[in-house]
Formats: sequence, structure tokens, C-alpha cells
Amino acid sequence: MTGTIVEQATTLFDQDAAGARRGVRVELVDCVRYFGSVAALDHLSLAIEPGELVALLGPSGCGKTTALRALAGLEQLDGGMVRIRDVDVTRVPTHRRELGMVFQAYSLFPSMTAIDNVGFGLRLRKVRAAARRRRAGELLELVGLSAQAGRFPHELSGGQQQRVALARALAVEPRVLLLDEPLSALDAKVRAQLRDEIRRIQLEVGITTLFVTHDQEEALSIADRLGVMAHGRLEQIGTPDEVYARPGNAFVASFVGSVSSLPGTAVPGGMVEVLGRRIGLRPEQDVFLPGSAVHVLLRPESFAVRADPLGRGIVLRRSFLGPVMRLAVALPGEVEVEVSLEAARAGEIGAGSAVSVEPLGPPLFVTGRDDA
Amino acid sequence: MAALTIRRRAGASGAGPARRATAAGFRFGLPLRGAVLALSALYFLVPLLASGRFALEGARGTWTLSAVRALAHDGALWSSLLLSVEIALGAAAITLALLSPTSVWVNLRLPRLRRVLEGLTLVPLVVPVVVVVLGLYGAFPPAFVTSPALLALEYVVLAMPYSYRVIDGAVQSLDLHTLTDAGRTLGGGWVQTFFRVLLPQLRTSLMSAAFITIAYCLGEFAMASLLGFTTFPVQLFQIGTEQIDEATAVSVFALLLVFLLLATLSLLGGKRRVARGSIVAGGDGTAAEPPRPARAGRS
Repeated sequence: MTGTIVEQATTLFDQDAAGARRGVRVELVDCVRYFGSVAALDHLSLAIEPGELVALLGPSGCGKTTALRALAGLEQLDGGMVRIRDVDVTRVPTHRRELGMVFQAYSLFPSMTAIDNVGFGLRLRKVRAAARRRRAGELLELVGLSAQAGRFPHELSGGQQQRVALARALAVEPRVLLLDEPLSALDAKVRAQLRDEIRRIQLEVGITTLFVTHDQEEALSIADRLGVMAHGRLEQIGTPDEVYARPGNAFVASFVGSVSSLPGTAVPGGMVEVLGRRIGLRPEQDVFLPGSAVHVLLRPESFAVRADPLGRGIVLRRSFLGPVMRLAVALPGEVEVEVSLEAARAGEIGAGSAVSVEPLGPPLFVTGRDDA
Repeated sequence: MAALTIRRRAGASGAGPARRATAAGFRFGLPLRGAVLALSALYFLVPLLASGRFALEGARGTWTLSAVRALAHDGALWSSLLLSVEIALGAAAITLALLSPTSVWVNLRLPRLRRVLEGLTLVPLVVPVVVVVLGLYGAFPPAFVTSPALLALEYVVLAMPYSYRVIDGAVQSLDLHTLTDAGRTLGGGWVQTFFRVLLPQLRTSLMSAAFITIAYCLGEFAMASLLGFTTFPVQLFQIGTEQIDEATAVSVFALLLVFLLLATLSLLGGKRRVARGSIVAGGDGTAAEPPRPARAGRS
């Protein structure tokens, strides 16, 4: 099989008459799942549009994997409904839901070669051996592993095993692709490569995909929309830039990306005073009475920082992040903030240096001190 | 460079004792291992060779195959062997059919029952066979008690302390949840996932469990004798009361048979382990890790 990934994927996966993507709409409606007295899913509702890739992000134990497993039918719900293409499949067993899934742990069947693993789902569907091998070969080519078709899982690297697992999941032409932290066992370089590859294949195939991860960078870079979960609930869902730039609450603000929380005071004119400076609020943030004590959340890039022998900030440590330098700065009043500046401008600023730090508005999020 | 030098020196000084310890290990470890192996071999081989010599020794230091020839024409012996083999095969089949799905299900769905089940499977070790036989006579009609099928079922129970552990150990070593989840999401029901995904991974341990059960059945005397079955060990005992040289020849034959079975199984298992054991570096530069037996935490 030759041609670009686009051509290969178009050949491998059916499209409807209009050539539209073949993804289907998927919904979790008011889903509830208890483990003992703990609500792993607490009235979770989530809709994924056809062909969309939604990433669920959250801390350990927030219920993101349970949500994915509920969609797969691997977890029975205590309440709520799962709908695929507007059909209630809550009581439909996993093997009849027409899903493809890639797991966090290496899940290839050890006694089968790569090509047999990919063809396994087709074998269960009683596809003839010749057709099965042909399609499995095509899928292996799609993930760039034709040369490893005859290898057993223990003869493949971690990244290759996950590629085979992806090919195996796609071989049965599933209606929905579920990815349960498939990259977490891989090293950083392979993870980035495979992440891009997953996204590229998903876009070309056009399959509706739910991707569960605890890695922010992964979620922000791969998803059409990003859902942030905590305590079994969906705290916010939106495009990655929406979630990053306009978090719906303090948890989302602090979980996605880095933030510093600073004490401030609401002042008239839709502003807050923080670190002795006044910064403007967005209209939706202007809900505090003047004089109210507030917490102001700011991203590291929302500070102006410069070396200043008379500055009130002292650099505690610095972290080199490639194009930017991240500094932890102690300020009067036992306040510590994280600020970033271009690495090229940070040359003379080291641990122990005096710096001046000025907040730039508007803040990421503002919350009343009583709410904190 | 300074750091490198220091590291080299530290490495050199650290390697000294380790190298000496390895050399000492070679000097003393190898002969010691050889001696232990030789003693173990003598412990097993001397009685076997003595039995063989006793079975083949004629009058005044001559050698004869008369005991072996007598065995070849002993119809009762062969029918008892056939009965034992039938019962053993039946017991092995029941053991596999009963224990492998049970172990998989308990590990998958009822992990809290694992300890209970382990305890239950040990009960046959502490209940005397006489008590079991009396219980059987009390619980079942006489016609059923005298059926070889019941003896096969009893052997399943009696061999369970060993066979269950072999199967359960192998089941626990699998990443059971991930494999079953993978099988199910690919379109397999529970039965298909069990037969097509899990059983191939358990092949060696299932063979071991079957072999243990067969070996147990071929050697068990008390239960068969008390229930009135003339199985191979019972017949062997009867021959021994009349013709001790013939009985000894049969014993040697039975031992060799069991040894051959065990060696075959070891060879098959060894080949599988070698085939699976290597870890290679892949094209993307990462080394494959061995499968993780424990399930990843669910969030």
C-alpha cells in the first residue's frame, strides 16, 4: 500500500455518500457510578460530536477513566445513560458496542504476532483469513509497522506495542475510539511522536474519539475540546485555549497550567489592587463589592519581571524551560509567585537576585477570600 | 573531567570486592552446586537402580526378563492400568474445566474470595481419606459410589491443593483485567475472550495442572482400595503380595513413565519461556517492558 496517510485512511475507512467523516455522536447523560460510598461519576454529562476528539483531563481519582469505561460498557452505571448515535446503549454489552480501545497497560495478546493481534477483532467477526490478513497488513502500514508484522509483543518496543494496539482498535472499523492514557508508559520523545500520529490518524479517519489523560500538555495539544474533571464531575469543557485562558473556576485555573494566587482587594471601576498595582477585570469577573478581599490567580506569563536591586522580590530558584525561564520569587507577606520571562533576558537573574514583579491584567481568575 | 575521573576511581575501587566475591563464588559455588546435584541424583537414582536390579536379577547372579515378560501377559494389570488412565484423564479434564474458569472469575470479579478459595482447596490435605469415603457412602446411593466417574470426581478434589495453585498462580501472573477488557472491546463475549485470549496464555500451567492430576490419580491407592476399585496401584499392591519381583518391575516402569511425562512438560515449558523471555529495543529506541501484572489505577 502506498500513498499519504490521508489516502491510506480514506481507503481504509468508509465515508458516507457526501464524503463526510464517519464519526458518530456520543453522549454520557447524567451518569452516576459509585464505588462503595465514593461517587466516581457524579451526574456526569458529556456530548462528543461526530469526528471530534475530546480529551478528559483531571487528577487521579477524578473519574475520567470510569467515564471512559462506562462509555465502553466495561463499567456498569448506577444511574444515567450512554447514547451512541442517539441510541441508548446503556444495557448493551461491550462486545456489541462497536468500539475500539487502546489501554494504558500494554494489552497486546502475548501469544499472537502483531498481525494476528490486529486481525483478532476481524477473526471474531468471522472475516476470512485472506481478507483479515490483508486488512491487518494495511492497518499496520498505516501505523508504520509493516516490517514488524510477524513479531510477537515481547519483540516490540513500548511505542510499537501501542501503535499495534491502535491498529488493532481501528481494524474493526469502530464507531468510537477510546484511548485510556495510551501514552503514559512511554518516554517523552516517543510519547510526543505517537501523540501526533494518533491525532493525524484520528483526523483522517474522522472517528469520534475520547482520550483520557492526566498530562496537560498532551490534552491541550491533541484535543478539539478539553474536559476537566474533579470528584466525578465535569468542571469545564471547551476548546483548549478557552480552558487555558478562561477557566470556569479556581480548580480549572489551577489544574490546567501554572498559576500563582495573590491576595488582592476589589476597587471601584472594575479593578483589583494586587501587589500595589491596579489591574482591570474582565466584565464577567467584576462581581465584587469595592473593598472586598479577593484572591487573584495569575499565569506566570502575566507578570512583568526585571532585575532591580531595589526590587522587593527575591528569586528563590529558576527553571530553564527552553524558550522561557521560570522563576520562583518570594515577595513580602510570605507570598511566592511563579513568573516567566524570555530565557535570553534572564541571564543576569539568578537565585538570590532582587527583582521587581508587576502583575499585568486581566487576571486569570478572581475569587473571594471567603470562597477559598 | 574531574567528575569523570572521580567516578572512574570510585567505580574501580567499588568493582574490586565485587569481582573478588564473584571469583570466590565461582571457586566455591560451582563445586558445591555440583555436589548437591550429585547427592540429590543419588538419592533418587539408587533406589530406582536397586529396584531395577531386583526386578531383573535371576538366580545366582544371572539376569532375566521373566518378571517383565510375566507383566506383558498379565491381563488384570493392563485392565487396571487402563481403568486408572481413564479415571486420570477424566479427572484431568474435569480439573481444567472446573478450575481454570473458576480461578479466572475469582481473580477478575471476586478477588476477596481468593483467600477463601485458597483455604477451601487445602481442605483435602487435612481430611483423611477414610472420612471422605464414609461421607461418600452416606451421601450417595451405592450404585453411584461404585462408579468410576465418582472416583474421578474425588481425585479432582484430592488433587486440588496442587492443581488449583498451579492454575491460580498463572492466572494471577496475567494482566487479567486488561486482556479481558481488550478482548471484549474487540468484539469477544466472555466465552470467546476466555477461550481465545486467556486460555492460550495459560497453556503451560494448564498442562502442569493436568499432569499433576494424572500423576496423582495413577499413584493413589487408599481411596480406590477403600471404594473397591482395582486401579493400577491397587493391582500393583496385589501383585506385590504374590510376586514381589513383578511388582518391582511395574514400579520401575511406572516411575520411568512419570519421569518421561515430566521431562516432556519441562522441555515444552522451557521452550516457551525462552521464546518469551527476551526484551529487545525497538525501532523508536525504547525498550519493551515486561507486562505489568497489576492493574493500573483507575481514575
